[in-house]
Amino acid sequence: MRTRTPRVLQVLRTVLIADDEPSMRLLVHATIESDDYAVVEAADGSEAWAMIQRLRPALVLLDVQMPGRTGLEVLRSVRADPSLEATRVILLTSKAQETEIEAGLIAGADFYLTKPFSPLDLLTRVEEALEL
Amino acid sequence: MTPHGLDGDGMRRSKRRGWSLRNYMAMFIVVLLAVAASAAVAVRIMTEQDARQSAEVDANFAAHGAASEIAADLALLRQTTSSIAAGVQLANILASPAGPCTLTFAGGDFSAGHIDIITPDGAVKCSSQPILGGQVYGSAAWLPTAIHSAVTVAPFLDPVTREISAVVASPVEGGRGTVAAIVALAPVGPNLEAALGGARQLEFLVSTPDARTVLARSLDPARWVGTTLDGTAFARAEGEVERTGLDGTSRLYGWSAVASSDWVVFAGADKGDALAAADQFANRALAIILAGVGIMLVVVFVVYQRIAEPVRQLSMAMRNPTPGQPAKTVVGAGASEVAALAEDFDGLMTRVGSELADRLASEQKALVSERNYRMLFEGNPQPMWLYDIETLEFLSVNDAAVEQYGYSREEFLAMTVKDIRPQQDVPKFVQLLNEPSPTFDRSGPWRHVYKDGSMVQVLITSHAVKFGDRDARFVLAEDLRESQRLELELHQSQARAESNAELSRTKDELISMVSHEMRTPLASIVGFTELLATRQVTAEQRVEYLRVMLQEGRRLTALINDFLDLRRLEGGDMTMRFAPADMGWLIRRAVDLFTNDDGASIVIRVADELPLVRVDSDAIFRVVANLLSNARKYSPNGGTIVVGAHVLDGMAEVYVQDEGLGIPADALPRLFGRFYRVDAPDRRGIRGTGLGLAISKKIVDAHGGKIGALSDGLGKGARFTFSVPLVREPGDSGDVLVVEDDSGFAHLLEAELTGRGLTSIWAADAETAERLMNDKRARAVVLDLLLPGLQGEAFLERLRAKHGSGIPVVVVTLKDLDAADSLLLQRLGVTAVLRKGPGMAETAATLVAKSLVGELVAS
Repeated sequence: MRTRTPRVLQVLRTVLIADDEPSMRLLVHATIESDDYAVVEAADGSEAWAMIQRLRPALVLLDVQMPGRTGLEVLRSVRADPSLEATRVILLTSKAQETEIEAGLIAGADFYLTKPFSPLDLLTRVEEALEL
Repeated sequence: MTPHGLDGDGMRRSKRRGWSLRNYMAMFIVVLLAVAASAAVAVRIMTEQDARQSAEVDANFAAHGAASEIAADLALLRQTTSSIAAGVQLANILASPAGPCTLTFAGGDFSAGHIDIITPDGAVKCSSQPILGGQVYGSAAWLPTAIHSAVTVAPFLDPVTREISAVVASPVEGGRGTVAAIVALAPVGPNLEAALGGARQLEFLVSTPDARTVLARSLDPARWVGTTLDGTAFARAEGEVERTGLDGTSRLYGWSAVASSDWVVFAGADKGDALAAADQFANRALAIILAGVGIMLVVVFVVYQRIAEPVRQLSMAMRNPTPGQPAKTVVGAGASEVAALAEDFDGLMTRVGSELADRLASEQKALVSERNYRMLFEGNPQPMWLYDIETLEFLSVNDAAVEQYGYSREEFLAMTVKDIRPQQDVPKFVQLLNEPSPTFDRSGPWRHVYKDGSMVQVLITSHAVKFGDRDARFVLAEDLRESQRLELELHQSQARAESNAELSRTKDELISMVSHEMRTPLASIVGFTELLATRQVTAEQRVEYLRVMLQEGRRLTALINDFLDLRRLEGGDMTMRFAPADMGWLIRRAVDLFTNDDGASIVIRVADELPLVRVDSDAIFRVVANLLSNARKYSPNGGTIVVGAHVLDGMAEVYVQDEGLGIPADALPRLFGRFYRVDAPDRRGIRGTGLGLAISKKIVDAHGGKIGALSDGLGKGARFTFSVPLVREPGDSGDVLVVEDDSGFAHLLEAELTGRGLTSIWAADAETAERLMNDKRARAVVLDLLLPGLQGEAFLERLRAKHGSGIPVVVVTLKDLDAADSLLLQRLGVTAVLRKGPGMAETAATLVAKSLVGELVAS
């Protein structure tokens, strides 16, 4: 993917990674690094929501368990904003509990991944979401 | 009125307690009747008097009225006659023969009569009625007087009308005749009655002044007018009010004289009628009184039926209580209060009944338990005794104690519980006594000495009891044989199993939290591994990924270790091995861990004279290191960290103070919970297992200390403090000083020494051992060479320099000794050098015991 020629004329879409763990941000970032879109990072829920409003990303990779606003809270804010209708959200949860996943899907997540997840799997999901 | 006669029982009770309610009721009824009767009589008398008085007043009034009317009528007649007599034509009328003339008669009450103009010889010249010829009044007694003066005469039988009449005559001037009004008396009475008789239908009687002749009477005038009153009650005008009337009826009379005529008028009210009205009134009053009495009686009866009778029955029931069988018969009729009383009484009876039964049962139980106690205590094959916890004197001993210990009962009772212990155990025992002991306690092994000097190890089961008014402890001493030791272990493991079950829920929760915490580092490791395995990456990326993997792997390891430690601490599986330790030295060791790191500088402030603490050195070292690590982590901008220790409230207080990020007040209470993290943007990058403080708290708790945190808020730094117990002065002395950092081996050694009748004291490092040596003067030393700080050889050199060569020292170590080491140890007068391994604890203990009795020192 790194070898692909950048489409300079197209305005790059943005993917936001929101996770309070630096190692997780690094992993996700390294996994989905691409010339097709810009990747930005947020270290907690509040920062994530601020960046979503400012950058209007095409996709948000949202950790559920975050200080400040939790991933679910951010997700609900996104879904409550009609102007963010096109924003896709993938939840990353470290709780493999049915209730957590169910709550995420009810709140309007497009997909969820349970930690530890396969980076290749994640990449597939990201590309699906961005319809690449 | 009383529906139930007083029975004998009631009489007895009245005598005993005063009147019964029934008697009060009877008395009330008697009084009520008496009052009603006197009221009735009084009303009757008063109404009669009233009636009489009112009749009298009426009669008097009527008499006066009648008298004034008659007087007025007579005056009118007088005026009429005198005016006619003064008339100018009268001389002519008298002189001429009788002829027609006009005279009009008007007499008031004297409704019938006539006026005549009469000549001196009695002939009528003119009249108000047809004239009779001749000398009509020639024989009249009043005529000669009437020619010359005015007269009023009655009675007079009118020759014209044949009526008994009254004459009012006025003379004509010059004696030429008289003008006379002759009026019939008969109508006067009825006329008076019609005018003045009123409702009482008074009788009117008019008589002459001498009260001899009836001039008028309202009743039956035809019969009575003109008759004499002699012999009747009216013979005199004055006199009794009540008189018998002419017709024989008793009446109440008033009287009055008629002005200008001296006639007397009587007016009489019928006494019978007056009294009959009074009677009627009195009878009505009596009826009202009777009705009132009747109502009162009904009320009394109802009250009696509703209160007195149920109360009496209740009282009867109370006198024959049947335990367990409530007096339900009582509850039925009766006022609500009485019914409630009865129900309460039923409840009371039930309680009293069951309480009686209970007491009976418990008395029997007490008897049985007393017997059981006797059997258990006196006949028990295990030695038992009671001792006073103040004086420690034996209060009672059983046969087994006498038999096994060899002292007679009298000897026992003259001794204290200290006397059956070896001398060197007494301080430890006394120290234990000074500590608050649980109501029930099982401890040991303890050493006891029989009278013959032989020593045994015993397990002591004791519990607090009252012996008379003294606080005592009941003691069962079990000789600790192998089987019992096993039993003890079994018991302990059972207790552990039970507490484990209690903790299983907490553990489940912990496991769920931990598995969640593990997923993040695991996700990094797995994820980067997969990236490295499936992608071509640059060299820099590979290094970066591997660095993260290593870091997360270490974090996972730390998490697992902390988690397992916490589990052990919470499950009680991690046993603390308490030994005297030098807190200052522990702190310095912990600070050494951080000297190579960058970050906030650390200052140590330990009080100079800080006594030794009694702790598990490894555990407390960990707490200090954890607090220092936290202080460093949360001081990203540097500053100074102060760690210190001092004595506070009989404990050693250790504190770690930083100038870092601080802690918000609402987070302080939750700081020591698992996986709790302060959520503030300034510390998002700071990582940890989230278990360090939870573990620290468990460790400090296990020492009986307290851990806490203080902070003035975000950015104001934080101060963590914890406390641990000091070594108590009377205790912790021993025959043998064990210097050994391996707590397991040290414990083994101590057990072996105890088995040989030697007490021991353990130091986990040489620094503490030196202080103990200075303070306690142990008689022998067991020494490890490999120690955390000061090494064994150096300690030994200082020991010899300070305390001389008289103290036997046995070295037990894992250190590989070369020739120079062996030579050095030999020069320092070591009794033996043993290589640490199975069975070596026993060997070391034996060597120490022998050296102390001098066997090896000589050789």
